[in-house]
Amino acid sequence: MTPRIADVLFVAAALDYLVATVLFVRFLLSKTPSEKHEHFAARLVGVGAMFHLSHILTASLVWRVCPVAGVHFPMSVATMLMAAGYTVFRKRWRLDVLGAFVAPLALTAHLALRFTGQGPLDPTPRFRSAMLPVHVAMNVLGIALFSLAFAAAALFLVQERLLKQKKTMGLFRRLPPLDALDRAEHRFLLAGFPLLTLGIVTGTLFVRRVDAVTAADVARTGFGYATWLLAAGVLFLRASAGWRGRRAAYGTIAGFGFALLVLALYTFREPAKDPPKPHAVADDRALVAPVAGNANAEKGPS
Amino acid sequence: MTAPAKPPGGEGIVVVGLSHKTAPVDVRERFAVAEGALPALLARLSAKPEIAEALFLSTCNRVEVFARAEGARHDDALRAVREVLREHAQVPTHEEITSYLYEREGEEAVRHIFRVTASLDSMVLGEPQILGQVKEAYDLASSAGALGNLLGRCLTRAFSVAKRVRTETALGAGTVSISSVAVDLARSIFGDLAGHTVLLVGAGEMAEAAAKSLGKGARSIRVCNRSFERAAALAQTFGGTASPLDQLEEELVLSDIVVVSTASPTYVIGKDLVKRVMKRRRGRTLFIVDISVPRNVDPAAHEDVDNCFVYNVDDLEQTVAEGLRARKSEATRAEAIVTAELGEWNSWVRGLDVSPTIVKMRAKTRAVLHAELERSLSGKLRHLGPDERAALAQMMDAAVNKLLHGPTAKMKGENAQDLVRTARELFDLEDDREQSATRPEDEKRVEH
Repeated sequence: MTPRIADVLFVAAALDYLVATVLFVRFLLSKTPSEKHEHFAARLVGVGAMFHLSHILTASLVWRVCPVAGVHFPMSVATMLMAAGYTVFRKRWRLDVLGAFVAPLALTAHLALRFTGQGPLDPTPRFRSAMLPVHVAMNVLGIALFSLAFAAAALFLVQERLLKQKKTMGLFRRLPPLDALDRAEHRFLLAGFPLLTLGIVTGTLFVRRVDAVTAADVARTGFGYATWLLAAGVLFLRASAGWRGRRAAYGTIAGFGFALLVLALYTFREPAKDPPKPHAVADDRALVAPVAGNANAEKGPS
Repeated sequence: MTAPAKPPGGEGIVVVGLSHKTAPVDVRERFAVAEGALPALLARLSAKPEIAEALFLSTCNRVEVFARAEGARHDDALRAVREVLREHAQVPTHEEITSYLYEREGEEAVRHIFRVTASLDSMVLGEPQILGQVKEAYDLASSAGALGNLLGRCLTRAFSVAKRVRTETALGAGTVSISSVAVDLARSIFGDLAGHTVLLVGAGEMAEAAAKSLGKGARSIRVCNRSFERAAALAQTFGGTASPLDQLEEELVLSDIVVVSTASPTYVIGKDLVKRVMKRRRGRTLFIVDISVPRNVDPAAHEDVDNCFVYNVDDLEQTVAEGLRARKSEATRAEAIVTAELGEWNSWVRGLDVSPTIVKMRAKTRAVLHAELERSLSGKLRHLGPDERAALAQMMDAAVNKLLHGPTAKMKGENAQDLVRTARELFDLEDDREQSATRPEDEKRVEH
């Protein structure tokens, strides 16, 4: 029964995000944009986030995996939190159209939970640690806020370019005010930075405990530091030298790019070398198998 | 008896008026009506025996009377409305105003009402105020008891046409005046203007006009001018602060929206000044509107300085032109909506027109057949019991329905006025079309 509920919630969240994406694209490209569609799409993202959260909770119970353990759930959790954050702040900061980034990003990560990834559902003994959930949780929250900062920065650049080119009809009129985008980008980054910092600190301590460190681990750590440095740089230069607008937006987007590289390396990393205990494999298969369409369900933890 | 001939679809609706298209402002001023004087004028219109319903619309660009002619006698109603307008404007003879007035009747009058309400006849195509003005006129006429069922329904239909035009086309999109473009741009950059300061560089008439629109809702207004006295006088008007031109750099640091309109033949604000200012502003966005000719702000500041946006008159006018172009292209779609809605209105009016005839035709046929049946039931068929009698009555009704279904459908079709007239003559029905607008229950019955 529970796997079926998880499936239903998965489909409901995906459909919500999909419809919201279509409505946002239509709003941005249509000759006669309807603000009603935009508001409806924005609300759909909130509903999608609720289904998404319910799916994560249900599926984690089915798989008996902590949502902030392996890589699949954390990615999904991060985008769910991003959608939830958007829902909370969109009205107050007049950022409805930010959903044009949030909805497809959430949809992609949500679908990725089912269709991509070869890594383990549960960390292998090499990585088992009480610090791991803290490390992942901080990073997940940080990434969620960083994603929103990225979306605001991207829209800022579009809006700023249109203003500089003096193209003040069409798309220009559908985007939020330039200052609102700049402020939102700064606030999301400011809120996400302490979490990213904690993620980096716990990650550094955690890596020091692991004996065998692979090249991918090193690259991932390097990109993680680059992400943190860029976020820190954008915030510091804004406070000290008045770097705002375009420069801050480029910095934020570059930082988010490194964060994506970290996630990509994490997602497509080599399967862990630790051989799982035979009884654990059997147990995991029994738990995962009922969830249709899950690649890991067929293979079991590697 | 036949009905008086009239243009189809209008059911006696007429329009008399003048607008920016037919009369200059000094003529329009003479016809304009203050809000307080409207009830008296409506009462005068309603008192005319030729007018069954009336609405008076008075805006800065048009003065119009929408009316329904009593007995669908358009000419009489038009004459009566002209007379009221002439008296109101205190013009001695009709000849003096004839060239300014236009008249519409029947379907064309309804089309005109739809177009006016949907802002297709406005000076600024798609401007939103006209709908509110027509609604106000409607409320006033309703509360004065000057509106009845037909003109009232025509107007509520016009409101829904306007709504359709607004939601289904981009007729109202874009901005079409220099000052509103500047305000729109400022809002697109800063959002709410409440937390931002407006600086006027130059204290001439143009600066004053710009301050009126941009200053609304701004946190404060500052005026910087070569002549401090003039700056102080203008600042006082808006409750702002004044400073001499040599304080310009300081003022630019403190302000967010700058309107420049001096008579200087050279740049008053150069790129280097903007760079210095932006550094001191710690990158905070600066929006400069340069409405002076020749330009007073170096356009390189827009190209080369981050977070500084400079728009001159040409840029603003280009946006205005784009807005107007976009609206014109949407006007075709809006006209199509008006035409479609007019078709539906005509169908509804035709239904009203034909309903009494159909009702009477059915009633007469039924009465004749039932009278014959009663005679038979009291004669040769008197042996029949109550069940058989009821069955026969039911059969008669069914026969009436089947017999008249075809003629009824044809009479409700397009261009069926001749058929309706013929049916009235053939069935010897008295003409009661005038009751049609106030008998919705008949209309409902016929539709079944």
